[in-house]
Amino acid sequence: MSQTDRRSRLLRLAAGAAFLALAAVLVLIVITAAGSGDGGDTNIEDKAAVAKLLDGIPQRQMTLGDPKAPVELIEFGDLQCPVCAAYSKEVLPEIMETQVRKGAVKVDFRNLTIIGPESAGAGAAALAAGEQGRGWSFVDLFYRNQGDENSGYADNDAFLRAIAKAAGVPNLSKWDAERAEMTPKVEETTQEATNLGFDGTPSFAIKGAQTGGIKLLGFPESAGELEAAIEEAR
Amino acid sequence: MSRLSEGTLQRAIAFLAALGIGVAAYIAIADANSGSPVCLGGGSGCETVARSSWSHLAGVNIAVFGVIGYALLLATAFFADDLARFAGFALALAGFGYSVFLTYVELFKIEATCQWCLASAVLMTVLFALCAARLIVFAGVPEAPEASPRRA
Repeated sequence: MSQTDRRSRLLRLAAGAAFLALAAVLVLIVITAAGSGDGGDTNIEDKAAVAKLLDGIPQRQMTLGDPKAPVELIEFGDLQCPVCAAYSKEVLPEIMETQVRKGAVKVDFRNLTIIGPESAGAGAAALAAGEQGRGWSFVDLFYRNQGDENSGYADNDAFLRAIAKAAGVPNLSKWDAERAEMTPKVEETTQEATNLGFDGTPSFAIKGAQTGGIKLLGFPESAGELEAAIEEAR
Repeated sequence: MSRLSEGTLQRAIAFLAALGIGVAAYIAIADANSGSPVCLGGGSGCETVARSSWSHLAGVNIAVFGVIGYALLLATAFFADDLARFAGFALALAGFGYSVFLTYVELFKIEATCQWCLASAVLMTVLFALCAARLIVFAGVPEAPEASPRRA
């Protein structure tokens, strides 16, 4: 084979390889953009369901509902807690529709971290989302995308960022910068719950004209029980 | 173009590949110590990227593949024949393509950037350009001992 033939053959081979590489990169990007790659940590479920559930309800810090609502329902929860997740999905939506949406009740989420150290990072991330008016969206989405307790996902930056993004946190850089500062607040509400005598999640308390301060509800097992407590507190 | 010019290209490729080994090794060592690379300019981008699922392939930190890739590229710089030219081009092409994909993932999936990963992507881009130039200009040129960086 002459030097020219050899050169020509090598350059054709190189051009073919370059074409294949370009095609491979494009295919990888298209597959990844479609969400079918292995980026499970960014594949957040129930985004539309949560957006629909909370649509039109005011969110301010970790409070959901009209700030002037006459009754305040307080949930002490741990974002890693599966019972809290089930409660958030099966019981609270009814309260939101019948009480919160019409301005009769506001619901305040407070961290009570009992599952493990990862819960604090998750709780702080929720509080930082609350600073931008997306606290409840964050909490609800987190619950619906829970992993196994203390398996490393709950304070994983990529997972938390994906939740924050799906929750609609407007400024992710600000959220990222602020969440570390929120850890003392997580500890503060955990201590508050402990002082109230709560040692499990979710635990509820209520404040209203008839409660004379804070009234402990513990764990109301149904929306009916919660509605009765709200009625008494009004 | 003179044979000395290929020697210059080889030295540049060797230098950049050695730098690449340093960058990739730093990321791999930080991961092996259960940590993450420290972003020199501050911020948590390096930690965010290192903790994401994209940082590992089949359980192995992708920086390890980076070290291997740069080491092979370094090896190709020590030979001045068509096999070395084409192997260098193919390795740099694969590295460049994967760097493009990873940069896309950082920007649009993880939404955080790690300066060490970006540094590696820049190194791989320049290496690809140099290896492509080397192949295009010198393909088919018989091996010349004086073109080796060890003897130039």
